[in-house]
Amino acid sequence: MTLFDVVFSGNDTVYGLTEGAINGAIEKHGADKAIAFPNTAYSLPCYYGVTGTKVATLGELKDALGVVKSLMTREKRLNDAFMSGVATALCAEFIEVLKYMDGAVPYEEPCYGHLADAVIRELGVPLVTGDIPGVAVILGSAPTAQEGVELVKSYQAQGILVTLVGGIIDQCEEMGYKTGANVRVIPLGKDVTSVIHVVSVAVRAALIFGNIQPGDAAGLMKYTFERVPAFVNAFAPLDPVIVACGAGAIALGFPVITNEETFRVPKSLIVQKDVSKFNATSLEARDIKIKITNIDIPVAFASAFEGEIIRRGDMQVEFDGSRVDCCELVHAKEASEIEDHKIEVIGPDIDEMEVGSKNSIAYVVEVAGKNMQADFEPVFERKFHSYLNCIEGVMHTGQRDMIRIRISKDAFAAGFRAKHIGEVLYAKVKSEFAAVVDKCQVKIYTDPAECTKIRHEVATPMFDKRDERLMTLTDEGVEVYYSCIMCQAFSPSHVCVVTPERLGLCGAVSWLDAKATHQLDPEGPCQVITKERIIDERIGEYEDVNEAVRKFSQGALEDVSLYSIIEKPMTSCGCFECICGIEPLSNGVCIANREYAGMTPIGMTFPELASMTGGGVQTPGFMGHGKHFIASKKFMKAEGGVARIVWMPKDLKDQVAERLNETAKEMYGIENFVDMIGDETVAEDPETLLAFLEEKGHPALSMEPMM
Amino acid sequence: MGNFKLTTVEEFEAATERLLETGKKVGADGWQYRVANQTPHCKFGEQGVCCRICSMGPCRITPKAPRGICGCDVHGIVARNYLKFTAGGSATHSDHGREICHTLYNAKPEGPYKVKDPEKLIRIAKEWGVETEGKDIYDLAHEMAVRGLEEYGKVFGHQNFLKRAPQHTQEIWEREEIAPRAIDREVSCSLHMTHMGCSSKPEALIRQSLRSGLSDGWGGSMAGTEFSDVLFGTPKPIETEANLGVMEKENVNIVVHGHDPSLSEMICEYADDPEMIAYAKSKGAKGITVSGVCCTSNEVAMRRGIPMAGNFLQQENVVLTGACEAIVVDVQCIFPALGPLSKCFHTKFITTSPIAQMPDSEFIRFNAKTADENAKAIVKMAIDNFENRNPDLVYIPDLKQKATVGYSVEAIVKTLDGVTNSQVDETGTTKPLIECITSGVIRGAVAMVGCNNPKIRPDHAHIELMKKLIANDIIIVASGCSAQAAAKAGLMDKAAKDLCGAGLKRVCELADIPPVLHMGSCVDISRMMVLVAELAKDSGLNISQLPVVGCAPEWMSEKAVSIGNYVVATGLDTFLGVDPYVSGSTEVAELLTGGIREWVEAAYTVEKDIDKLGDAMIARIEEKREAIGI
Repeated sequence: MTLFDVVFSGNDTVYGLTEGAINGAIEKHGADKAIAFPNTAYSLPCYYGVTGTKVATLGELKDALGVVKSLMTREKRLNDAFMSGVATALCAEFIEVLKYMDGAVPYEEPCYGHLADAVIRELGVPLVTGDIPGVAVILGSAPTAQEGVELVKSYQAQGILVTLVGGIIDQCEEMGYKTGANVRVIPLGKDVTSVIHVVSVAVRAALIFGNIQPGDAAGLMKYTFERVPAFVNAFAPLDPVIVACGAGAIALGFPVITNEETFRVPKSLIVQKDVSKFNATSLEARDIKIKITNIDIPVAFASAFEGEIIRRGDMQVEFDGSRVDCCELVHAKEASEIEDHKIEVIGPDIDEMEVGSKNSIAYVVEVAGKNMQADFEPVFERKFHSYLNCIEGVMHTGQRDMIRIRISKDAFAAGFRAKHIGEVLYAKVKSEFAAVVDKCQVKIYTDPAECTKIRHEVATPMFDKRDERLMTLTDEGVEVYYSCIMCQAFSPSHVCVVTPERLGLCGAVSWLDAKATHQLDPEGPCQVITKERIIDERIGEYEDVNEAVRKFSQGALEDVSLYSIIEKPMTSCGCFECICGIEPLSNGVCIANREYAGMTPIGMTFPELASMTGGGVQTPGFMGHGKHFIASKKFMKAEGGVARIVWMPKDLKDQVAERLNETAKEMYGIENFVDMIGDETVAEDPETLLAFLEEKGHPALSMEPMM
Repeated sequence: MGNFKLTTVEEFEAATERLLETGKKVGADGWQYRVANQTPHCKFGEQGVCCRICSMGPCRITPKAPRGICGCDVHGIVARNYLKFTAGGSATHSDHGREICHTLYNAKPEGPYKVKDPEKLIRIAKEWGVETEGKDIYDLAHEMAVRGLEEYGKVFGHQNFLKRAPQHTQEIWEREEIAPRAIDREVSCSLHMTHMGCSSKPEALIRQSLRSGLSDGWGGSMAGTEFSDVLFGTPKPIETEANLGVMEKENVNIVVHGHDPSLSEMICEYADDPEMIAYAKSKGAKGITVSGVCCTSNEVAMRRGIPMAGNFLQQENVVLTGACEAIVVDVQCIFPALGPLSKCFHTKFITTSPIAQMPDSEFIRFNAKTADENAKAIVKMAIDNFENRNPDLVYIPDLKQKATVGYSVEAIVKTLDGVTNSQVDETGTTKPLIECITSGVIRGAVAMVGCNNPKIRPDHAHIELMKKLIANDIIIVASGCSAQAAAKAGLMDKAAKDLCGAGLKRVCELADIPPVLHMGSCVDISRMMVLVAELAKDSGLNISQLPVVGCAPEWMSEKAVSIGNYVVATGLDTFLGVDPYVSGSTEVAELLTGGIREWVEAAYTVEKDIDKLGDAMIARIEEKREAIGI
């Protein structure tokens, strides 16, 4: 038998029963006998909703059955199956209304049967506004009472309204599980026809809240399809009557999930043999996303803690990417590769680490979603800083593979462990990026060897690939730039202007990242800056950019240039990867990166340089920037470009050598430019450096004086 | 429902009438007049009974003269003509594929031609057993280009792509000796067989027609499609617009026409160049609009969202708008009429391929190595021509519809992934579609393809059949001019779901697709072959058992007959609205509509009554469903 044949036969069976029941009732009570559901203004709500006709007597009910019959066409088309499903539902309503004749009370505790309009008004509001995220209709008996109750409980925990029909009601009673409207678990009745009482809720919701006119069947079905987040869980065995009811449910837009082997229809009729996965399967089928309101961690989580500083003495342990291998990463994967909310800790937990020790950590947040794009990965990543800082007793700085996390002794004592980092990342990513993330799992590596592997074999290639993508873009080739004020929590007046050739100074927000951030959250930290009104091409100054900077710095900044370190340089927040500063003797600049602990020829260490450069203040002659910016053709373009670089720590030199050499060759025709740049092995003072530069014939020496 | 409304064929025709009036003012000719001049058509030709393959004739068969001078009977002559017709189409598509292989061979990291879909290149290389590990992508591209070109003249063996077919289909091809060998060999072999004094046995000639067709669909066309994807990107859903209203009065209008995307891709590239746009502005235009006609249009629409000005029988209309600065053509289906017609307006008619050279055109020889310069020169020429426009002659009909196009097999699978449930389903298969079909939600699928033909009211058959099929929950995949007819009418607007039966409508809503899926140009019918092969493999059914049929209601070209042959030989029943010049032979007609079913499990149906053609397809789909019990 085809699926449609099963529906038709179930429909015929129910129709036959209904016809018999109505005829029998008329024979006994006469056609004028009044019939009605109690406490509703909507007559037989489903029939009234579909046809616009109210039914008050047995005679009218018989006429209505004639209308139902006209829906029962038998072409081999889904429309016929849908309409037969609707006809089945209407028959069920007719059978149910007969039970209420003469003011009878056909349902007793715990079953509810027909639900009063008042209940709909109470439930309907949170339903329509989304505060009740979904409505589950569970039908039949679960394989075991235990499994049945587990399923009910799982929905209940998510705030989903659960309605029960048939054997599942007995199973709940057997297990002593508490039901009732007050706990949002409503047993309807034990006959399959009692399922109509939840359909009646959906129909009345459409009439009451959706302003659907009775009789507008198409409008009604569109409303339930688009706005009533209901679904059916039907346990095996399925008989044709249940399948016919299922067709009615699907017609209204409610998917049916069953553990019986039967026909499959994507997003509509889904076979899930594993009852423990009914919940996840159903939510995905109906596109229901559960808002996570509680993060399961032993300490508080609030933006109040975002600026919290944890001093060395208060620190239980530290993870420090500048000393050992660390990284944070978001990785988009296929939905099938991810088990939602799985959090794994690979390696020792915090209680196995020595107090005050420096450790490795690499946390990889794997996400999947139908609208997920790889371009969003770095955008989520950049939010980790803020997420982790919101944890009471946790401090996070940096990004990518240059992160540092401190966990306080108090947080540790309260029970905070590695997995809680995962809980926070999971909850925040799932809730803030619900538009694109359907599933999420977190892997937290603390095993040093694993961290090394993840950092170098997984993260670095991904970072490089993202950077490479950016390399093909130029400032001239794009229509707009973006602002970034992600770190205004720390540095309220700082604004980064992100262009393809000048990434944010933290080194983490590229033009593409900023673009994606803007797409995901149009009101968020990255806003479009047009670049139509140029003031000075040499230093890269635009009226549009200045207007934006004024606005986003709340007036603290007047104007900035994109390409100069001397004239109106861009400000720094404090998150910068590198700082460059003028070294007057050699007529060039020295660059120090955050990982470099030694002295620079300027006479200041990185922290000393940082202290005078940060805070969102313009400091001519000093500038914070990302590593990637060093090889950009726009680096200090106004002052002559990369040829001004006279000194960098050796490690940093190695990191940027290839690209910097390429840029220098292209701009000045100089081969192996990096070899002309000094480092700590050559000099830590200006005089020795100058001698070295003279020996190498460094181009900065013969350039225009910088000051 | 919003404001969505289909554009009717009557509205198309009214617009054409209005344009023909402009034509009259300038003394322009039009196909409508030439059809009248050519009617009635030669009956001997129509029936396929005229033979002129040697100079003893021409011979034509009548009841009084049942044999030609050499003694060949009508069945031999009709079958021979049919095979020659096929070989012409097969050669044409395949040579297009060869050009693409050459373009691939010229791909360089610095352009103008680049490898835009390296993953697809690697996938094909692996399929062909070519080592990919550690190879530079451009080295691999060049190696694959050569391997592709070798398919045209391979000494031994069969076409590489045949391995994509289900085992059962491959066995049929082996068994029936129709597995195509080298592509050029099948064309040559066909012309050899049809030489004076070779084959005159219909079975042998029709068998070779199938083989020659297969060398196109599973050879040359497939190479054209696959390597175009490698070069220009594999299409994915993209929004565009269709019909003459896409041309913009204030802009420089460049219309690309033909089939090979190599040229049009470059034109689109340069029309987008800020320098060119500034140049256009300096000449008094507001900008540059590139739109397309025929399959070149399909190619750039599905990769770039370039709007479609129209299909085959609308090519003269674009010039008649008086707003066309240049109509730039590459190969195939280009009316020589465009030459004289362009002279009635300011329009530049620019031919670019040595394959398609025409009088009254400016020939700018297009070359893969100098493609960027050529394209730039063409765009510049169009801009320079803007000032020559006669404003009194400008009339652009205000007709256009929105369309979502770009459904490559990869894109279809990705779309289907969107309706899977990660708790139970695997992704990357056609299974969700199969589930829709086996449950009856969708009854089946029809591949609507082919051209326009004045013998059929233009676009009417395409559109009416599609409307009927989607109302019966049959999903359409379309390509070529059929796809453009659908787009012009509005059937590729997602809002067209409201014209579907409840089943297809629900599928469109859940998958967020229009009911008619644009799969590309006419070489892209190879995509449809890959799709049915995947459906067969994923369902465990034979291709011939799937409730899927092909339909070309308004076909006209030799290519269409070649396509018909490979579609049938792949196992899909094919429904034609125009007879392929075989009515003169009962034997050949019987073979094509029945006999070949014994060989390849499918055959042709020819039905000129479009309504009946639709009923016949629905009935065949239901028969197939019944046969497998769904």
